[in-house]
Amino acid sequence: MAWRNLWRKKRRTFISVSSVMFAAVLAIILMSMVSGMTDQFVASIVNNTTGYLQIQDALYNDEPTIDHALEYTPEKEAMLNTHADMIDYIVPRIQGFGLASRDMGTRGAMIMGVDAEMETRMNNLGSRLIEGSMFEPSDEFAVIAEGLAHQLGLTLGDTIVLLGQGFQGMTAAGTFKVGGIVQFSLPEQNNAMVYLPLKQAQGFFAAPDRLTNLIIMTHNPQEADELSRKIQQEIDPEWYAVYTWEELMPDAVAAFEARDAQFKVMAWILYIVAGFGIFGTVITMMHERLREFGILLSIGLKRAQLALICMIETVVMSLLGVAAGVIVGFLIVYNWYRNPIHLGAEIGEVFLDFGIEPYMSFSIAPDIFFYQAMTVFFIALFIGIYPVRKVFKLNMTRAARK
Amino acid sequence: MKTVIKTSNLEKVYNGSVAPVRAVNNVNLEFQEGEFTAIVGPSGSGKTTFLNLIGGLDKPTGGQVIIDGTDIASLKESQLFDFRLKHIGFVFQSYNLIPVLTAKENVSFIMLLQKQSKDAMEKRAKEMLEQVGLSDKLNSRPNQLSGGQQQRVAVARALASKPKFVLADEPTANLDTESAFNLLDIMSRLNKEENITLIFSTHDQRVIERASRVITLVDGEVSKDEMFDR
Repeated sequence: MAWRNLWRKKRRTFISVSSVMFAAVLAIILMSMVSGMTDQFVASIVNNTTGYLQIQDALYNDEPTIDHALEYTPEKEAMLNTHADMIDYIVPRIQGFGLASRDMGTRGAMIMGVDAEMETRMNNLGSRLIEGSMFEPSDEFAVIAEGLAHQLGLTLGDTIVLLGQGFQGMTAAGTFKVGGIVQFSLPEQNNAMVYLPLKQAQGFFAAPDRLTNLIIMTHNPQEADELSRKIQQEIDPEWYAVYTWEELMPDAVAAFEARDAQFKVMAWILYIVAGFGIFGTVITMMHERLREFGILLSIGLKRAQLALICMIETVVMSLLGVAAGVIVGFLIVYNWYRNPIHLGAEIGEVFLDFGIEPYMSFSIAPDIFFYQAMTVFFIALFIGIYPVRKVFKLNMTRAARK
Repeated sequence: MKTVIKTSNLEKVYNGSVAPVRAVNNVNLEFQEGEFTAIVGPSGSGKTTFLNLIGGLDKPTGGQVIIDGTDIASLKESQLFDFRLKHIGFVFQSYNLIPVLTAKENVSFIMLLQKQSKDAMEKRAKEMLEQVGLSDKLNSRPNQLSGGQQQRVAVARALASKPKFVLADEPTANLDTESAFNLLDIMSRLNKEENITLIFSTHDQRVIERASRVITLVDGEVSKDEMFDR
């Protein structure tokens, strides 16, 4: 009877189902966008700066100087190899601030010794090359950022003089030929980066076999915490520390949380608006059927039975609406997931400034669809309490006369 | 003859906006098995309220309604639902069939609530629809039937579960003359053949002329109670 009632007034049912569907679609789009953008920002942070995990000297995070570079021994490498099932690849770095000079010009620089192949795998460093080439591990030339090259008037084949603080009070000084020029959108990087082959940088800093950051990229980002715990148990905490990207970038995490909270408020405003839409339909439906309800109760249907019929109608309508919402929401979001929305001039530049591609990304993680569908479904069910309550309070003789 | 319904000092007072409205006032009546009674009176005389009270649809503010030895005014709501389902058939002015059910399903509906077997329901529904001349409309929905046909289905529904009595609230009010006569013929025949007690509230002279008893209510009180040999 409930099923037949649903199709008795197709337009009414269509409106109710549509209300639920639109609520589900809008919630899915909103939360997919929030999740997609978060993933995009996290990927940007992880790939461009911290990686998912970092092993550092125990004191480096509080005082990031070359004196707190860790010794990367074969034993450490062997220990990490025991977690090869979780580790995708490892990116070694040794870095420190110094001065970059040519003739009379001097600028502050971030001098970073890297494995160019691993660095490119992590953050596409190689693709930023605009002149020259990236170095191999055995090369001895530097790759510098375009802004710095411009400020110092350096071109390919010129010599750059680097000065800095070496390990344990040693002076770091060296001259390197410029073999490549890379370009960054973020000015802080574009005006400061100097890349050296890892061995060359370790020699420059007088810190052979030492690294300031040992970045670990996991196969599955969700496993980073678990891997962190495992490594933590296998290293000497007096000398080494393992950090996840969240621990290294607490400000970014706080910013994400604040932004997520804003979107959750927006989502709840959306739920409330959609809820009132559904509620309006339910009230109209109840008003239209009061007389029928009065008759049904008069001829012997019990209130609980009538309430059950109403509840079944609400559940079926909600399920239909939610199912339609998930299908339509998925189709929309999947399209945007495959073809991210390109952000216009101003906001796009802001993204680029932070080293993030100027696209609005969407997520198709199953939990988004599940949680939004469940939330909208439970809201619809909650609204379904109204007809049930109305049935239990209905004055049947008055209703039957309507 | 067996008394089916007895009312003692029955009273229903509504709280009006200006002063209390005494819709039914000190009504003492007995209805016998197989009687065909018409309750008549001007609009607002308390006919429908009286029917609601003896049908257990409304609670009296005073007095008793005794059916089969039970004072239904003392029953709880859930008990009243069961009591109505078991003992009382209703026919309303506006047919009030369930729009999503076929004629046969509408007639079976109360038997379904009484948890009768499917075969018994099927048999009785067909039998009742045959009795009201609608054996060819078993699978028609209410919107496929005329007003007169819908009211005949409503009568079949009211009688299908073999209630102790049937309450009909102005059942001919919305019918044309031919449909009204047709319906009255059917109800009179069932009243005689199945010895069913019928109590009508009506303004309709055609009903009054068929009734074996005519009770006139004025301002909620019985002003006349006449018996006819018909």
